[in-house]
Amino acid sequence: MTALPLFPAHIVDMIGSGLAIFLSFLALVYSRRLVRLQPNNFIWGFLFYFCAAMAVFSLSRGVGHIVRILLVFGGYGETWRHLSPLSGGFNTMLLISAAAVTIYYHKGLAAYKAIRTEAEKLTDANVKLSASALQLKQLNFHLEEMVEERTRNLSKSERKFRQFFENSKDVIYFSDHEGRLTSINSSGWRLLDIEEPIESFRLSDLFIKESDRKRYQEELLLKGYISDFEVECQGRNGATKHILISANSVYDEDGIMIGREGIGKDLTRLKTITEQLINREKMASVGEMAAGVAHEINTPLGIILGYTQLMMEDFAEGSEEHANLEVMERQTKACRRIVADLLKFSRQSESVKAALDLNQVVDEVLAVTEHSLNIQQIEVVRQFSPALPQVVGDAEKLRQVMINLINNAQYAIGEQGGKIIINTDSTEGFVHISVLDTGTGIPDEIKPKIFDPFFTTKEVGKGTGLGLSVIYGIIQEHGGSIVVESPVMDPESGQEMSGTVFTILLPIYESTGNDE
Amino acid sequence: MLPERHSTCFYMEERERIMNRIFAKYFTFMLLVLQAMPESAWALQPHSAPEGLYVHQMSHLLFTGALVYLYMHTRRTPELQSKGWKYLQTFCILFSGWNLLALIGHEAIKFLTPEDFIHAATWNEQIAGPITPVKMVYFITKMDHLIYVPALLFLVIALRVLSREALKGKEK
Repeated sequence: MTALPLFPAHIVDMIGSGLAIFLSFLALVYSRRLVRLQPNNFIWGFLFYFCAAMAVFSLSRGVGHIVRILLVFGGYGETWRHLSPLSGGFNTMLLISAAAVTIYYHKGLAAYKAIRTEAEKLTDANVKLSASALQLKQLNFHLEEMVEERTRNLSKSERKFRQFFENSKDVIYFSDHEGRLTSINSSGWRLLDIEEPIESFRLSDLFIKESDRKRYQEELLLKGYISDFEVECQGRNGATKHILISANSVYDEDGIMIGREGIGKDLTRLKTITEQLINREKMASVGEMAAGVAHEINTPLGIILGYTQLMMEDFAEGSEEHANLEVMERQTKACRRIVADLLKFSRQSESVKAALDLNQVVDEVLAVTEHSLNIQQIEVVRQFSPALPQVVGDAEKLRQVMINLINNAQYAIGEQGGKIIINTDSTEGFVHISVLDTGTGIPDEIKPKIFDPFFTTKEVGKGTGLGLSVIYGIIQEHGGSIVVESPVMDPESGQEMSGTVFTILLPIYESTGNDE
Repeated sequence: MLPERHSTCFYMEERERIMNRIFAKYFTFMLLVLQAMPESAWALQPHSAPEGLYVHQMSHLLFTGALVYLYMHTRRTPELQSKGWKYLQTFCILFSGWNLLALIGHEAIKFLTPEDFIHAATWNEQIAGPITPVKMVYFITKMDHLIYVPALLFLVIALRVLSREALKGKEK
């Protein structure tokens, strides 16, 4: 190749310079738009300054190239020689400026990032602060209402629990760490029969058994609770109460016991009912057995009595044989009476029931027995209800009931004399009749056994032990019940005294209108 | 072990420190080169003629370095990963190439004499034969706009895309 034409290079130089000026300014316009969109964004600021430097550089260089071509090719080469260093220097300066902007970009970016991070933190903090301020404002605004509402709720809750505490039929109590009562509900006061001040009083002081007291203290101390713990307590009046206690210890934040709280249920009535049920079942089974035995013995006894009486006809009166047969006849009749009593107890004997007035029955019995009682210095007090409703019953058997009760009372009073108070009354569908004596009373340990057949405290030969059993059988047969209390309250002084009272309840006779 | 976010931040900061060190060395080297030149400038002393050319050449190198740095930094900065920044990185590469081309062009012309040009200062101007590699290099570097203009085109596209992204972000 001999020569290389530079015309294409000049053309590229001319057009390229123009395009470069245009494009660099277009880039400047876009960067300006970015800055306007986000004036606080450092990166867009950097790009704007970079584009500005590039635009000025492209303008300087492009104009320089075009002017050079025009001047040199137009024959003004000398002029260009004067301008050339100026253009070159200007281009150099702008190149360095653009480079400098770029070099310091990272420092600016780092600062911008740090500032932005701090700004974001500040913004977050501001947002949180605003939210908190708003919340605080709302809280302040509603504080009064909230306090009122909470107070109301608290009061409602307190009232509810107070009512529960006071109205509960069970004992609810609170005590300090040593077991001294701090609070107890009205059922507790009533049931345990304690008196103020309660602060020096421990619930466990009422426990009858020392072992119960020990277990109660230990379990609350070691386990922190005690449940379904059945104890016997004795109130101020000395009455024994059966109480089922469930209690637990109360601890503070450090786990130190600061008190106790518990509930006690009165089981006394339940226990009494249970004992009565057991006793009734026992009496029923004994009655069945007695009835069987009585039936079996009754026939042989009748034969023995018949043959004894036949043999008595064979011997002259006054002879030794006749006297022996008389003893046999008497003892056999005694056996038959016992058998008859057993049958009455077991309700196997026949009854003729009719509506009758119990006051009259009692009067008939007293007409026979009162003379004997008076001889023994026993005063009989009649406290009859004048309008006593009638009951349906066998008059003969009810008379026997009264006779047996009065006999027992007489035996209990003994030779020193005393008082028998007979009271009749009616309530809630029942007629009550009670026989109270001022005798020796019945010890607690034998009370459950007194209605058992053949149980007696009398000396041998003085009683068969069937009197109360017969009463029990007759009353059961009449659909009634009998209870015993000993010791008793003196109706005049209201003081407790030795003695026994038997109270019989019989259902009131309700006329159907067809009786006549 | 640091949590991921913290470890990423730590990595970025470390890398930035390394890059800064590299560029500090680069510019120190440039200053030393300047000192080593007998014709180079001394304060309050007369300067010989090629001073302007040297400064100009160094400015090309400086700008090349700055663009390479910008390319690397934007490439490794997690916040600058959108499409617009990819176009800007292309611009950095092309414009660095232009700077080097211009530098070579300035160097090549030193080896040419007025006798190497026919019909100088006219539209028919030609490079006289025989065409040596230096003459060929000069010819090529004369058409530097073929890389200069596309580079600027990428800069425009980059900024256009970035402005659209920013607008979209603001509208959200």
